[in-house]
Amino acid sequence: MEHEEMSLIPGLSRRDFLKSCGVLASVIGLSGPMAAPRVAKALEQLAKRPAIVWSCFQECLGCSVNLLQSRKPNPANLILKQISLNYHEAVMAPAGSQAEKSFRETVDSKDFYYIVEGGIATGIPNACTISGKTSMEICKDTYQKAKATIAIGTCACYGGIQAAAPNPSGSKGVTDFLKSEGISNPTVINSPRCPGNADDTVAILLYVLVKKALPELDSQGRPTFLFGQLVHDNCERRGHFDAGEFVEVFGDAGSEKGWCLYKVGCKGPVAYAPCPVTRWNGDISWPVMAGGPCIGCSEPDFWDKQSPFYEKAPGIKLPGDITPTQVGVGLGALTAVGIGAHFIGQAATGRLGKGGPQEGDETGSDEGGKR
Amino acid sequence: MTKVVIDPITRIEGHLRITCEVENGVVKDAWNTATMFRGFEIFMKGRDPKGIWQFAQRICGVCPTPHAFNSVRAVETALGMDKVPDSARIVRNMMEAAQLAYDHVLWFYHLNGFDYVNVPNTLNAKAATPGLKAVQDQVKAVVESGQLGPFANMYWDHPGYMLPAELDLEITAHYLQALEIQQKACDASAMLGGRYPMINNYVPGGVTQMPSIEDIEYYVSQMSMVKDFIDTVMLPDLLAIAPYYLDLASYGKGVGNFLSWGVLDEKSQDPYDRLFPRGGIFDGKLELQKVSLEDTRQYTKTSWFGDGVGAGKHPLNVGQEPIEFTNLPPIEGEAFPQGKYDWTQAVRYGTEDRPMEVGPLAQVLIAYLAGRPEAKKLVDDTLAAVGHAGDPTVLLSNLGRVAARVIKAKINSDNAIRWAEELLANIGKGETTVYEELDFTKTGTGQSGWDAPRGALAHYTKLSDSKVDTYAAVPPSNWNLSPRDDKGVRGPVEEALVGTPVADPEKPLEILRTVHAFDP
Repeated sequence: MEHEEMSLIPGLSRRDFLKSCGVLASVIGLSGPMAAPRVAKALEQLAKRPAIVWSCFQECLGCSVNLLQSRKPNPANLILKQISLNYHEAVMAPAGSQAEKSFRETVDSKDFYYIVEGGIATGIPNACTISGKTSMEICKDTYQKAKATIAIGTCACYGGIQAAAPNPSGSKGVTDFLKSEGISNPTVINSPRCPGNADDTVAILLYVLVKKALPELDSQGRPTFLFGQLVHDNCERRGHFDAGEFVEVFGDAGSEKGWCLYKVGCKGPVAYAPCPVTRWNGDISWPVMAGGPCIGCSEPDFWDKQSPFYEKAPGIKLPGDITPTQVGVGLGALTAVGIGAHFIGQAATGRLGKGGPQEGDETGSDEGGKR
Repeated sequence: MTKVVIDPITRIEGHLRITCEVENGVVKDAWNTATMFRGFEIFMKGRDPKGIWQFAQRICGVCPTPHAFNSVRAVETALGMDKVPDSARIVRNMMEAAQLAYDHVLWFYHLNGFDYVNVPNTLNAKAATPGLKAVQDQVKAVVESGQLGPFANMYWDHPGYMLPAELDLEITAHYLQALEIQQKACDASAMLGGRYPMINNYVPGGVTQMPSIEDIEYYVSQMSMVKDFIDTVMLPDLLAIAPYYLDLASYGKGVGNFLSWGVLDEKSQDPYDRLFPRGGIFDGKLELQKVSLEDTRQYTKTSWFGDGVGAGKHPLNVGQEPIEFTNLPPIEGEAFPQGKYDWTQAVRYGTEDRPMEVGPLAQVLIAYLAGRPEAKKLVDDTLAAVGHAGDPTVLLSNLGRVAARVIKAKINSDNAIRWAEELLANIGKGETTVYEELDFTKTGTGQSGWDAPRGALAHYTKLSDSKVDTYAAVPPSNWNLSPRDDKGVRGPVEEALVGTPVADPEKPLEILRTVHAFDP
């Protein structure tokens, strides 16, 4: 066996660690050449690795599979060095009563952060049970004991696919569920997209751990540093939209030239998400780069409101009728986006940082710009 | 007589409870219960056929790609499209091969591994290389921190862990390495599909675009690294640990019926011509049978749906209503499941209502019986390595399930680069059409069977008035984790559990092994 040819433990070198912190530093408003070391120091000064309880409710596990695609840090370092993943059913070794023991020990300590993947079954409470308890019982109790709660993926944020009409099981997102249980103003950070994105998860988690505060959230509970901008505004095909150059049919000449996908259904003009900036799977691609339209998966109720996915989004005037800026401001979900938020969003995601003066030292991505 | 309940079964996709009746150290009876319901077939009704595959791939976030394939293919066949353009066929194969590769690596190390590899025991090893020492130090740091995280509370003191500490350490190192390797396969898929999981380049009629030469080269480089890992680490790991766990051949026999719809199309796009061909095996007789998608039937007497919902009907005539939920017996106490106990419907095959095992064991046995040289050689070599040369019946066991997944991973990764070469050849010939526009106003019924990594997967749909009139998916876990049917016959996992030894009912490690061998 030739094991030596590959890195046995994907080591987080000092340089890699600073890189991962570079993104965070810009997110939390630290800038300048010393920002990344300061964040790294803050993390290392934590007395112990923060405990995480990750509940999977009505889900497909796609968010967890994307978590395994995390690069900065990579999953081995995340699990072994940076967090203590005390409960995640897809990852943990123990099962049954022993898994339940891990759950109880951590939750009863009240010293943990809570991540939820999947919707809460409220119409048919037994449409999701773990160890004989319903998702409603588990979610409410665990939320009340957690130091902070993050909903990962559109299901946990807003109910997701199983909440598509007629929502057979009465699935709800965490915030709506907690409200229906009489918790008037629940504190939940929503990190939608379908699947939930590993980089979002890590960025939000590190933000909460380092700043010990919630990030600024929009009216849908999403951090503005990630979800403050329309997909359309950062799309590399935006110039073709403005020039009136559209793919009419998949595989046509426009498709080969990478023209705008608006006419074949792209929901980029109404979806707030960082996909074109941070991209996916270590920055290598994103759904529009694959020649398919954005399906608006970061928006509440997108399965009903953004479908049919391959039909034009209604109510958008084409170039000539309206300026590009108006497209961004006039449509989509209600968000608290201002010029400042736009700026923070760009800095956070490295868009301004790549080669730019304020984060030019460590923020750049080696894998970026493949095309 | 002891009742053993494991809920949750961890290291799987979805939510599962296993209840066993254990007598004299052996499982006497077993029940599997899926404890989650979402209602896909209800909310997919009335949707736009062109985008229905986006819903369908969310059935499983671990294996969205074969769901996506079956969904676009079911719609295509409903609209009368027999074949997709050849270059679209190849792009879909490349996507599928990347998905299969990541999935089998993830299963072998991350989902199944802890049933055989004792992580704390790595501290007792003499580390042979600096790399292994680094891993050992990292495990030590985690143990000494008192924060064992995902490794806490496992039955690490169970006598069923047989590996020497050095092998535990080596495979723990590979567990970490495999986290990087699964990313390489997912990246190969994401480069063509936009992201992984939840791809964006499929559409009924073909795929959205022809990948660039650069993308194809990237795919080849990623999949080459995955192939190297499977050849030089994963397959040798299987052969290294198998001698310590030969008792796996003695339990988990199961129902002896196997089904595969086949996966990975050759140029003919004929399902019997696939890299893993379509076929069936009945009653433990290792003879190859033809199978039909139309012979799938469903029963609901033990499921939380009205008895008349199933009653042996074709998937398109079943649905998921009315719901009739009845409580499960509590985990504690003496009561065993009775009557209705599962959100899964019992899926059976043909007029004999056979429960069918699906998955890599079925796929590899069928490829072996079909005389595929790669399958033949790998199966024969594995049999020789475990001391059963010439006797493939020994594979009808948990040992066979574990081995077959690794064999399948190897055949798949050996061919991934061939697909890329075929695509480059098509580009060279100017054969770059990847999409044909379909008439979505047509009425029709379609179906597609194309296996997911964990086994036979089929989608069925009826289209009318430019809408999805009816949709039905029959995923592999509906076969393997079927509950009892209307006649009381157990499903494949339930049947495989019967006879499983249980050394300590408080620590039912062997039950986990049998269940995980199916990759539920």
